[in-house]
Amino acid sequence: MPRTTFIRSLLLTTLLVVSAVTCLGQSTTGTVTMSATVSKFVEINSGGAVTLTGNSGGGVTTDGVTNSPLAVAINLGELGPSNTNSFVTAQVPLKLRSNAAYVLSMAATVTSSGTTASRITAADVGFGLGTVSRTGLGVNSGSDTNATSGDPTLAANGSVNGTTGRYEFTAVRSNLSAFSSATTALSGPIIMNAVPRSNANGLTVPAFFAVKPQFFENGTTTISVTFTVTAP
Amino acid sequence: MSKATKGILTTLAISALLMMSAVATFGQTTGSVTMTATVSNFVELTSGGAVTLTGNSGGSIITDGTANSPLAVVVNLGELGPSNTNSFVKLSVPLRLRSNVAYQLSMVTSVAGAGATSFSLKDTDVGFGLTPAARPANLAAGVDTNATPGDPTVGGSTDANGRWVFAGANSTLGAYAVSGAVLSGPRINQAVAANSATNLTVPAIFAIKPQFYDPAPAITITAQFTVVAL
Repeated sequence: MPRTTFIRSLLLTTLLVVSAVTCLGQSTTGTVTMSATVSKFVEINSGGAVTLTGNSGGGVTTDGVTNSPLAVAINLGELGPSNTNSFVTAQVPLKLRSNAAYVLSMAATVTSSGTTASRITAADVGFGLGTVSRTGLGVNSGSDTNATSGDPTLAANGSVNGTTGRYEFTAVRSNLSAFSSATTALSGPIIMNAVPRSNANGLTVPAFFAVKPQFFENGTTTISVTFTVTAP
Repeated sequence: MSKATKGILTTLAISALLMMSAVATFGQTTGSVTMTATVSNFVELTSGGAVTLTGNSGGSIITDGTANSPLAVVVNLGELGPSNTNSFVKLSVPLRLRSNVAYQLSMVTSVAGAGATSFSLKDTDVGFGLTPAARPANLAAGVDTNATPGDPTVGGSTDANGRWVFAGANSTLGAYAVSGAVLSGPRINQAVAANSATNLTVPAIFAIKPQFYDPAPAITITAQFTVVAL
């Protein structure tokens, strides 16, 4: 009898151990691990329609469309003395967005069929960025640094050369000769708060181009400007 | 010895023999077997199968779920900044539950590596919800209580700052910085064999709206589920 009891106890213990091991083997936890990235994002688009003033025979060939890629084409018209306006001015709205600090640079080329010193050169094309606007839902407040002198048609930004009589844009980075290679025109901190891309707001700034009609050498002139925004 | 005494002793001897014979007969015809056993509480969480990743840009499933295997999914959600033009980066992870008792599924989560400014991705930017269906007939009858609002990509809107906000309570990982219940209910399985495939499968959905978050090269989001018996 004691032997039988011993065997029974042994079997019961084994059963309990097996049962316990089985219960411990069940899975009661699990994990989901996700990794992700937020990359630096900078964007330049058109800020809207171009405004062309003081032109004679010119026109906007391809206008800007808000939030569309910037690819405007403008015929400035007549830039010789037959155009009696003070300046031919094109105002091109730019729209920038970023989730990081940004730098807007510009590179420009001016080619003319003229061959003399009186032809239109890069220095004859005034340039500047106007007032920066950071407004609208989701746009971060911040202070931007305008590396240009603003509207090139302002009296403070140019004058007639007392020696040559030629009108010159004299202020800092006030004409395209300062941008023969990519040069910073504007920079600043993060533009957008943490909002969806579908938020259509952003930083807007007008880019002014101006040419003073003068006794330039006759011919055709092509002015090409490329803006680039980067996240340093 | 007198004849009378001899007779008594003979009688006693025969009686003793008969009694011993009777006892021996009883020992050969009856017996007993006594068994003890236990049915313990059983709750189980495993993977319900392959995960589904949508709306991603550059993401991928690194370690997929395998039905009835331990849940240990690893997923790269890819780009969460504005260069991802999809409405949501959405991950659906099937969870597989079995039990012989009432259960509670809880979750605890963490978000790391996203930065610390107000524009950084936060746990409240990660939508979460379970979308359990009604129990099929092959499970124990009962209604499961979903503590989440369901699919986090349904509803939602931008707040006063323009940031996306998921709709409802317990709809983001912000509600699970400490362990919290996400699903509970009565026993799941009927009295079926342990190798029965019957189970309660519940999709767990994680969703992030791509936004102008602060740049962050290595964000890690972890969700740990635990099921216990109530």
